[in-house]
Amino acid sequence: MDELTQQRTGVLQGTLDMLILRTLRYGPAHGHQIGKHIQRTTNDFLQMQHGSLYPALHRLEKRGWVSTKWDMAPDRNREFKYYRLTDRGKKQLVVEESQWKQMAEAVARVMWPAAEES
Amino acid sequence: MKWWQNRKRNADLERELRSDLELEEEEQRENGVSPEEARYAALRAFGNATLIKEQTREAWGWTRMERLLQDFRYALRQLGRSPGFAAGAILTLALGIGASTSIFSVADAVLIRPLPYLHPEQLVRVWEQMPNGHRPNMAESNFEDFLTQNDTFANLAAYNYGVASVSGGTEPTRVHISAVSPGFFTTLGVQPLRGRPLAADEERPHGTPAIIVSYGYWQRYLGSREDLSKFHLDLEGGSYPVVGVMPPGFDFPSGAAAWIPRELDPPTPSRTGHNWSVVGRVRDGVTVAQARANLSAIALRIRHQYGTQVDLSNAVVVPLADAIIGDVRTALLTLLGAVGLLLLVACANVAGLLMARIGVRRNELAIRAALGAGRGRLVQQFLAESFVLTFAAGILGILIAAGGLRLLPAILPMSLPRREEIIINPTVLLFALSVIVAITVALGLFAASRAGRRDLRGALSSGPRSHPGSSASQHLRSLLVVAEIASTMVILVGAGLLGRSFMRLIATSPGFQEESLITIEFSPPIPQGQAGLDQTAIARQAHLLDDVVARLRTIPGVSSVGLAGAVPVAAGDNLPEGDFLILNGRRPPASMDEFGQMRRNNSETGHALYAVAGEDYFRTLGIPLIRGRIFSHHDALGAVNVALISQALARQRWPDQDPIGQTIDFGNMDFNLEPLTIVGIVGDVRARGLDGPPSSVIYVDYRQRGMNLNSTPTILMRATAPEGEIVSAARGIFRDIAPDIPVKFSTFAAEMGGWLAQRRFLLLLVGLFAAAALILAAVGLYGVIAFFVTRRTQEIGIRMAIGAQRRDVLRLVLGEGARLAVLGVVIGIAASFAITRLLSSLLFGISATDPLTFAGVAVLLSLIALAASYIPARRAMRVDPVTALRYE
Repeated sequence: MDELTQQRTGVLQGTLDMLILRTLRYGPAHGHQIGKHIQRTTNDFLQMQHGSLYPALHRLEKRGWVSTKWDMAPDRNREFKYYRLTDRGKKQLVVEESQWKQMAEAVARVMWPAAEES
Repeated sequence: MKWWQNRKRNADLERELRSDLELEEEEQRENGVSPEEARYAALRAFGNATLIKEQTREAWGWTRMERLLQDFRYALRQLGRSPGFAAGAILTLALGIGASTSIFSVADAVLIRPLPYLHPEQLVRVWEQMPNGHRPNMAESNFEDFLTQNDTFANLAAYNYGVASVSGGTEPTRVHISAVSPGFFTTLGVQPLRGRPLAADEERPHGTPAIIVSYGYWQRYLGSREDLSKFHLDLEGGSYPVVGVMPPGFDFPSGAAAWIPRELDPPTPSRTGHNWSVVGRVRDGVTVAQARANLSAIALRIRHQYGTQVDLSNAVVVPLADAIIGDVRTALLTLLGAVGLLLLVACANVAGLLMARIGVRRNELAIRAALGAGRGRLVQQFLAESFVLTFAAGILGILIAAGGLRLLPAILPMSLPRREEIIINPTVLLFALSVIVAITVALGLFAASRAGRRDLRGALSSGPRSHPGSSASQHLRSLLVVAEIASTMVILVGAGLLGRSFMRLIATSPGFQEESLITIEFSPPIPQGQAGLDQTAIARQAHLLDDVVARLRTIPGVSSVGLAGAVPVAAGDNLPEGDFLILNGRRPPASMDEFGQMRRNNSETGHALYAVAGEDYFRTLGIPLIRGRIFSHHDALGAVNVALISQALARQRWPDQDPIGQTIDFGNMDFNLEPLTIVGIVGDVRARGLDGPPSSVIYVDYRQRGMNLNSTPTILMRATAPEGEIVSAARGIFRDIAPDIPVKFSTFAAEMGGWLAQRRFLLLLVGLFAAAALILAAVGLYGVIAFFVTRRTQEIGIRMAIGAQRRDVLRLVLGEGARLAVLGVVIGIAASFAITRLLSSLLFGISATDPLTFAGVAVLLSLIALAASYIPARRAMRVDPVTALRYE
């Protein structure tokens, strides 16, 4: 993997991959839908950068966690590139979720120690 | 997906982004925004599409390859932009690669590639070893003992090698024939291509005659006919049915055109007649050392058993490949060394060019670095550039090598073993490829390391007009040039030593006048085989020879015609040598056995070459009579047999006495035990070659002793008219008198040319490499000095403005050149001292540290260096101080 890519997407990378995989749990979606979904669900807290989204999607595809297919959109009379979660992707999502949970708990313990004592 | 599918991938990504963008646009419109506004909003939301594409592509992971291609394209563009640099660098490297590939292909064929026989590592040559260190061929009875008593050899085979007249093919010819013992071909593991090997019935005493011919002979003289049954070859009076044809490339012993069973010759059960070469194949699992120990033990046993009847003290066993290569190894290693140095000089030169270019390109490099090109990226780019350079040079170099190999046969000495096998094969290509890769990596890393050192900000802020190149890089370029000069010095010294040896050699007098001598090798049939000639045969032969000589003498422009058993010097190896008896009043031996017994008394024997000659031989060659008399017509067949000896023999064997009047017996040479009376002493001849001492020779009269199989009858004519006219007249005479006898015309000069060929070849190539290295070193030095002048133009201007004369400027610049040249020459001399010792065996008459050669080469190199510095120095002298000062 290139050094440059990691620098540019480093902050969000692990998290973004997990969010995309989680989004695809609802069923296949194209890039625009995925981006919009994450943005809307977080109440626009996470502004989707297309410059991060598409590289992430292609990276997931390369790793075999999602598969792709050009398909007709049900509401538009046009084809979009749909991403679908693969079995390996589902397993990866479980792994990333638990890692994230551990991470969040660890961070929380450092940040708010009093809360735990009380 | 793989990188080569990236076109499809790109289209796919393009489509994906477009469809998503359009969707965004549609959604904006559906929210009630005007179409134009919607379009811009979508684009804004999306961001930089090109960047997205680029970043996405990086996620695919094949960008590395794309970047490499990009670097190659960039490298090609860069080189195309400076065609002068590209052409110079490519030609320089191509020269080095081409020369080293050609020489490697020779070394590969001769030294490296295994012999074309089955399990060649099992094959050895065997000799007897004499107490004095000589290594003669084997005597027949000793060979039989080695053959039957050893337990380490699968087989031992004896063979000899001689010239014979063969007719029965399309035309009569003189070819090399080998008589071989049973199992000769199976020892080598080679079967005939057509026909059959020699049969048991043919390999026993008094067996059926049979002959196997070489592929070349079959093609040329038997018309490549499939059916061999019709062919019977006549050689030396016998008729031999052709039973087999060896495959092409089978060349053992080297040059043999036909093989006959040795049993056709009467056996010579001798323990001192060293007539047989021996080749053997050790058994599976037996080492050469074990075989050597085994044969040594047998040799000791023979020595023990027969005492003074034998003259061997040991056996010598040498791997066949080593025996065949012999002294050529040193010559080829010398060539490889010289060409390797040339390649280094070429690389150093190109490295210097690259550094100069980095100086020019520093701004471009700085901008690339400023724009975020990492060090790895720059290294990759330089590797790409040096790859493009070296690859182009490599292709050109291989073409040069292929062309060179076409020219090689013209200059390769005939005596070079395995010369037909020299080709560009996969091994040679692999060598060329390794050289190319090594140069690519070395030059690329070198350039990258130089470029990587550059101070970014300094380069960008100082602008393009500042001095190109830092003083550190100037220093490095100077070092490169010093290395070039030192390497060139080593090659030049080598070439100088070989050249001086060669000049000494050809200036050495053979002992007679060698100009305008025509030689005619001419072979009347000699019917008795290895046994002696009887009186009638000698008379008949003498009659024929006299007839020929008398007719040849009538050709206008021929001043004299002589006759000898071999051309001295050029074909000196054709003169047999052996021990003779000094009778001192004793009765001559009655049989060969008695000769052998008398020979054991060392005080009454001598050793000399045996040459059959006629009285006009000495006049024709201009060999002076020192004392006594030459042969005359009184020395007839029935009269006292007479001999002449060379001064060297007189000095060596009769230092305090008068040899004239002494009687000797040299019956082991012609199986004629009639004693010889010495009647005269003649001038010395370097009969065995110019590089040897004057030879001890005993001359006998052809009218009394005849030319037997030991001789290669040769007529020598002293010509005062053009050679061509005389040769055509002589051809007519031979057609008249003896149409069936093969005749080979040549000149002494041409025969000497053949003798000198190997030395000339070595000298020519090393000289060429030296010249090429000299030119490259001169160009390299010129480059550095020109650069020196450019960098100091301003300084020179200031100096001139404050009163420096042109002379001072000249001294400044030439001084810089001289400094580098002297340093290079000194290092070169030191290196040459260490290296040229290895050449000792190739030199003649001078030592490997010949001071004159070293001094001459040092002076030559210094002069060239000064000349190379003078051109930029002149430019420096013309610097106009005003312009130079205003320029910055």
